Amino acid sequence: MFIEIQNAKKRYGTGEAAVYALDGVDFSLERGKVCVILGPSGSGKSTLLNMIGGLDSLDEGEITVDGERITGLSPKALTAYRKRNIGFVFQFYNLIPDLTVEENVQVVEEIAQAPLDTGEILRALDLEKYRYRFPRELSGGQQQRVAIARAMVKNPKLLLCDELTGALDTRSSRSVLTFVEKINRQYGTTTLIITHNEAIAGIADTVVRIRDGKIASCEENGVKRSADEIEL
Amino acid sequence: MKLNRRYTRSIRANLAFYISASVLTMVTLLLFYLFYIAGTGINAYGDSFFETYRVEDANFATYQQIGDEEIRALEERYGVTLEKERFANVDDGAYHERVFRPNEKIDLYQVQEGRDLSADDEVLLSAGYAEENGVKPGDKIQIHGKQYTVAGTFLRPDYLYLLENLTDDYKNVSTFFLAYMTPEEFDAQFGDGTVNYKVIYGADTDQEDFRLAINDAYYMASYLPAQANTRITFVHEQADMFLLMAWVMLVVMPFITVALISILIGRKIRSEQKLIGTLSALGYEKGKLMRHYSLFAAIPGIVGGVLTAAAALALAEPFGRFGLADYEPMRPAFSLPLWVAVAGILIPTLIYWGCAMLRVRRLLKKDTVQLLGGQVGNDGKNHRILVKSSMKVRQKYALRTLAANPGRSFVIFLGIFLGAMIVAFAFSFIDSVKAVGDQAHGEFGTFRYEYILNSLQQEAPERGEEMTVLAYEDDNAVRFSLMGLDPDATLWNLQTTDGQRADLEKGYYISTLAAAMYDLKAGDTFTFRNIATLESYSVTVSGVIKNGYQSYLLSSRENVAEITGLDAKAYNAVLTDEALDIDSDLVTEVITSDTYHNQMENLLKSMGAVIYALMVIGVIICIASLYATVNMMLSENSHNISMLKVLGYDNRRINAMVIRANHLLLIPGIVLGIAAAYGIMVWYCREFVEVERIMIPATLRTGSVLLTAAITAACYFLSLLLLRRKVDQTDMIQALKDNRE
Repeated sequence: MFIEIQNAKKRYGTGEAAVYALDGVDFSLERGKVCVILGPSGSGKSTLLNMIGGLDSLDEGEITVDGERITGLSPKALTAYRKRNIGFVFQFYNLIPDLTVEENVQVVEEIAQAPLDTGEILRALDLEKYRYRFPRELSGGQQQRVAIARAMVKNPKLLLCDELTGALDTRSSRSVLTFVEKINRQYGTTTLIITHNEAIAGIADTVVRIRDGKIASCEENGVKRSADEIEL
Repeated sequence: MKLNRRYTRSIRANLAFYISASVLTMVTLLLFYLFYIAGTGINAYGDSFFETYRVEDANFATYQQIGDEEIRALEERYGVTLEKERFANVDDGAYHERVFRPNEKIDLYQVQEGRDLSADDEVLLSAGYAEENGVKPGDKIQIHGKQYTVAGTFLRPDYLYLLENLTDDYKNVSTFFLAYMTPEEFDAQFGDGTVNYKVIYGADTDQEDFRLAINDAYYMASYLPAQANTRITFVHEQADMFLLMAWVMLVVMPFITVALISILIGRKIRSEQKLIGTLSALGYEKGKLMRHYSLFAAIPGIVGGVLTAAAALALAEPFGRFGLADYEPMRPAFSLPLWVAVAGILIPTLIYWGCAMLRVRRLLKKDTVQLLGGQVGNDGKNHRILVKSSMKVRQKYALRTLAANPGRSFVIFLGIFLGAMIVAFAFSFIDSVKAVGDQAHGEFGTFRYEYILNSLQQEAPERGEEMTVLAYEDDNAVRFSLMGLDPDATLWNLQTTDGQRADLEKGYYISTLAAAMYDLKAGDTFTFRNIATLESYSVTVSGVIKNGYQSYLLSSRENVAEITGLDAKAYNAVLTDEALDIDSDLVTEVITSDTYHNQMENLLKSMGAVIYALMVIGVIICIASLYATVNMMLSENSHNISMLKVLGYDNRRINAMVIRANHLLLIPGIVLGIAAAYGIMVWYCREFVEVERIMIPATLRTGSVLLTAAITAACYFLSLLLLRRKVDQTDMIQALKDNRE
């Protein structure tokens, strides 16, 4: 398995105020697959994504990504892990406002070990004509495509998308999802999307439902559809 | 208001800002307070001491003595207090002293330690010498070859600044002292001694009438008003220098620091715009919000002001003592006036408070939706510099963030600038004083010895060049030396400022110091008068000779003789390039090439503590202001920092990208800080001419420039080092959540 999670537990707060964001999560995912994790706000899906991405650490349990056990890694080792393996896309893009589209992508290219060509990525995401624009000069959908380009330029093994269409209108959402599909097809990148939008589950190979920090269900998607076909 | 519960929480959360802002406020106010306390303390003490111990208004010598009956008659006629003072200059080998017969009416002494004279074998010594040499009451001392018991030590008002000779620039308490003997013992040892007269004028006295009457009847040999007597004037002049320094500090330092903190407060409030927008949306009125945030901002002012007032009270005494290093051991009471303390607390507090009020008011004029979105202040255009450049992204980022945040960049620049300015000013002070010691004699000429004789001589000296030196004054009784030299003199500097040799036969030349003091230039008419007869003379200034240390009018001995009425062959000073064997009774003073050097070394020694304290304060200001500003910059960049972390950037690279951008501000900050310090020094030296009557050349040596740059850079890197952990501690998830909110 590409991702293996065993008995993952994460607690926030102490004493009576303690809340388990993850409460014994077991989960695995094959390489190259698209997985959509569904759940309402506060269900623990973002926490799970942060753990897999090496942004936070578990209180209990174990996470292995591509054979590398990331539980217990030092902050420095986690940084190296993210640099090597992970591409992030967030709901609010989190682009660096003082850098142009091209530079926002190059900022990752400069530290990546085997980066893809920035020009190629920009072309693939239909961003070439915006390369010298700054984030605030773009629409939300365009900004999210830049965020995808930035995540992909390092040619990551794992693409983690946190509510990537949450701030977009339907048309932009569809366009962004189309590019995610394209990336997955073109580069074979394992992709994990967390969302509360049930419709997005249609493009997944695997659909995981999470509630109160526990996996409620984990199913293979029998009828995988393209982004154009789903009802957003 | 429940909202006010945020105060303690917010202070805790922004502790670094509050501490550094309070420290900055404190340190800058402290500089003002300390100089102010020293200046006012010395002035108040001087006024009180002069009044209690009846300082003279003038002293004079006459060729014919004035009898006791005549003194009473003069007192009655002119409404003055007049007293004959008798003293003797004695050389006892390792030290020399001026022994006085105690006065009864003018320039009375105050016993400092021990007790007053009660027997003929007792003496009182000047307190400064006793302190310097560890002489205690009960010790024995030899004066004029006879052993005396030291009964005590004293101060007198006309020697609070203990210059052996009036031409000296710095005190000598290591080998020279004043002493009192009982009148009987003085008479037995020295007879009449040297006679001098002291006068205190009445409110209605016509001083010129009095002087003319004295000259007519007794032939005035010399006349020295108190305002030209450096032993007296230095008390207030030194105090005024402290006050001058205090006002410089007040204008330059707190002004800049308050501006810096105000900018920081403004940015801090802008960073709270989402909360301000939320509270506004919830129905909080503009006034309430303005009051709430202005109280936050007032905290550094109140804390800094109160702590500074407390520190100033605690440090007033030791710091004031530094200021007394030049004087006899006076005991002024140093205190911080209540109104100054209150102003010190109120002024910065009100400025910070007002700045916050304005900032919140301006924010609340914006659309609430914009505030909620945190877009106010972020709607500026991106600086499109280097968009198509192939430079590394992190370098482009660095340059662009500097340009895109001019306010923030300016604040960081200001921190560097301030630190460099204070440190460079301290170095410049040291360099300038040293320059006096190094250059002064060169401006005098090439002689190695200048013998000032106590009487006019006619016969040519065994060696050297004769010179006539006599004191004259302008209409405001500001004195200068009227000097006569042979036109072919070689040992005195005769080169004018335009590079010509002065033609003494045909003209009158003034020194650069005299030109500055009397506001004269070549071609001007200089009117002055004889200090004894008050007879006026006018000459046309032919040129200016570079000499910033002596105020003189120079011509040929013949020309000078026409003014003085003396024989053209008479002289009272000799310039030589080697020591002369002259009867010491004939010599009033010997100026050597080391004189100024030693005096300036002594000045530096006494001022050293103040100057080095200034330097330390500069370093603290530099570190505190940079810490505050870089801390602010990191807070404002926390989102970018966390994003770079998420993307896999390690802390070293993030530091390089976010913090190192400011390295670009380091060089201009240092360069302009040093230039500003030099500018202030030039101004300070100009003021010094009026106060101290010496032209200190504003100097900043290369070594000092390099040292300033090194110290400032070290402060800068130290503050960055202290903030490195802030990058380490930036919470990625929290920052991403904040962005989502």
